[in-house]
Amino acid sequence: MADPIFAVRNLVKTFGGLRAVDGATFHVDRGSITALIGPNGAGKTTLFNLATGFIKGDQGEIEFEGKSVFGRPPHVVARKGMLRTFQITKALAAMTVLDNMMLAAPDQPGERLLGLARHPLMWRPRERAIRLRAMELLERFQLASLAGAYAGTLSGGQRKLLEFARLLMAKPRLVLLDEPLAGVNPVLGKQILAHVHDLRSNHGLTFLFIEHDMEVVMNNADRVVVMAFGRVIATGLPSEVRRNQQVIDAYLGAHGEDVA
Amino acid sequence: MLHLISLAPFGHADFWLGVGIVAGIYSVFTLGLQLNVGLTGIVNLGQAGFMAVGAYAMAILILTYGWSPWLALPVATLLAMLAGVVVAMPSVRLRGDYLAIATIAFAQIVQSVAQNAIGLTGGNNGLLGFDASWQAFQVWMLGLLASIGLGDQDQIPLFVLVWATFVLLMLILQALQHAPWGRVLRAIREDEDAVAALGKNAYAYKIQSLALAAGIGAIAGYLLAINITVIYPGTYSPNFTFIGFAILVLGGLGRYAGVALGSILLWFVLEGARFIDLPLAADRVAALRLLIVGLVLILVMVLRPQGILGKREEMVLRG
Repeated sequence: MADPIFAVRNLVKTFGGLRAVDGATFHVDRGSITALIGPNGAGKTTLFNLATGFIKGDQGEIEFEGKSVFGRPPHVVARKGMLRTFQITKALAAMTVLDNMMLAAPDQPGERLLGLARHPLMWRPRERAIRLRAMELLERFQLASLAGAYAGTLSGGQRKLLEFARLLMAKPRLVLLDEPLAGVNPVLGKQILAHVHDLRSNHGLTFLFIEHDMEVVMNNADRVVVMAFGRVIATGLPSEVRRNQQVIDAYLGAHGEDVA
Repeated sequence: MLHLISLAPFGHADFWLGVGIVAGIYSVFTLGLQLNVGLTGIVNLGQAGFMAVGAYAMAILILTYGWSPWLALPVATLLAMLAGVVVAMPSVRLRGDYLAIATIAFAQIVQSVAQNAIGLTGGNNGLLGFDASWQAFQVWMLGLLASIGLGDQDQIPLFVLVWATFVLLMLILQALQHAPWGRVLRAIREDEDAVAALGKNAYAYKIQSLALAAGIGAIAGYLLAINITVIYPGTYSPNFTFIGFAILVLGGLGRYAGVALGSILLWFVLEGARFIDLPLAADRVAALRLLIVGLVLILVMVLRPQGILGKREEMVLRG
């Protein structure tokens, strides 16, 4: 697996005097499920925000599929095929579940004013295809019965599922999940993980996910990237990382020894 | 029996046609606010400024440069939209309150320029005579009306023009709203970051929304100019926008048709209150009218906080 889909090199981001990301370097192999772990404040979410263009880095390189995305705005990064979820789910509350899904389709000419002015009805056949795909995904995520409900009426777990399914509408190749299991009940958590494995195996997607539950990380990740104080202090197989003394000191502590 | 309300004026078709024209102009004006505030989540407090840019541009092109109205109207509309883009580019990146401040500053600047660039705008004397073509058309239409016995209703042509404009613009905006373009706008209203994370350029959509609203404001500006036959800074004061907001809230956020209902309610209560027959001095009656409008506003907000056509669930979900 020597084909990195995503790489950061010497990435730096400071907020005032705080070096939130302080020279981080790592890569994600194509087709892998890679976990990004580390103590609170290690810079994991900041790294996601840098990668997806929500904040701009001070120095360093960010590459997606061999091309630099450093400093590119979020919508440009997303269109290239790198999609993310948020730690606090962003369901579009006063829109229906189906509208949430259909919004994410990347190829709807009816989203452009000029296109609408020139061909006022051309978008309709495309819209039907998008609706079909949205319903298919909702079916797969067991949200189909809620298609007509306002997203704001969903439970926390259902919102996580919706955000995940919605992102798939945009046809990603790399998916960044920011704590996909936080606040989710174990049954739903297993369901989300099953989707991750299925999408990797059957659709060739790559995943990078932030997670604090070490059991989940050890059982699901192919590779683990460990961050502390804005730097990457270790990368490797889960079994290697959990025996790494630096990782144990910085993050795992006694808990890590339990797992080992 | 003491009649508190004299019913005689309700028979004055002419008076109510006049009120209907004003309500219609405010309806057109507020369509733009609905697009921005109700359906994109941009707090545009500068709509009166765009209206002024459009109206002044139209009058100056006709009076100073001798353009035909058929050319001056579209060009003036484009100029107002350009002003929308120019205001939007630096300010739509600002959130909430800051954007509101930036847009109200714009309207204030426009008014100051209108007052002081006397060579261009006529200053506080305003501009007259830009509506010759309309007057000629109106005479022709009144001739037609006379042949069916409505010759004395000289406000009918403008009334028809104003409301036809409203309906046409409303239908276009509703079609846009039901198209995928409108879905992106609604999503931006909900959460801009989520929209950007899904590959949509939220910034570009907000600029488009403001530019379109500016164009609609310009059209309201032409109608207002025709109605009062003069363009001077006072008619395009930034306060116009605040009445627009009252109409928006009354009619319900997110529903274009609500704009018309809100405007009609507000103007008919305001003007109808003229006929409350009380033994009071004229200035007190004027104050009382505004008081009554305020009470009606409060009453509607208590009984229907989402406005006449607004959706309650959406209001609650958005928090």
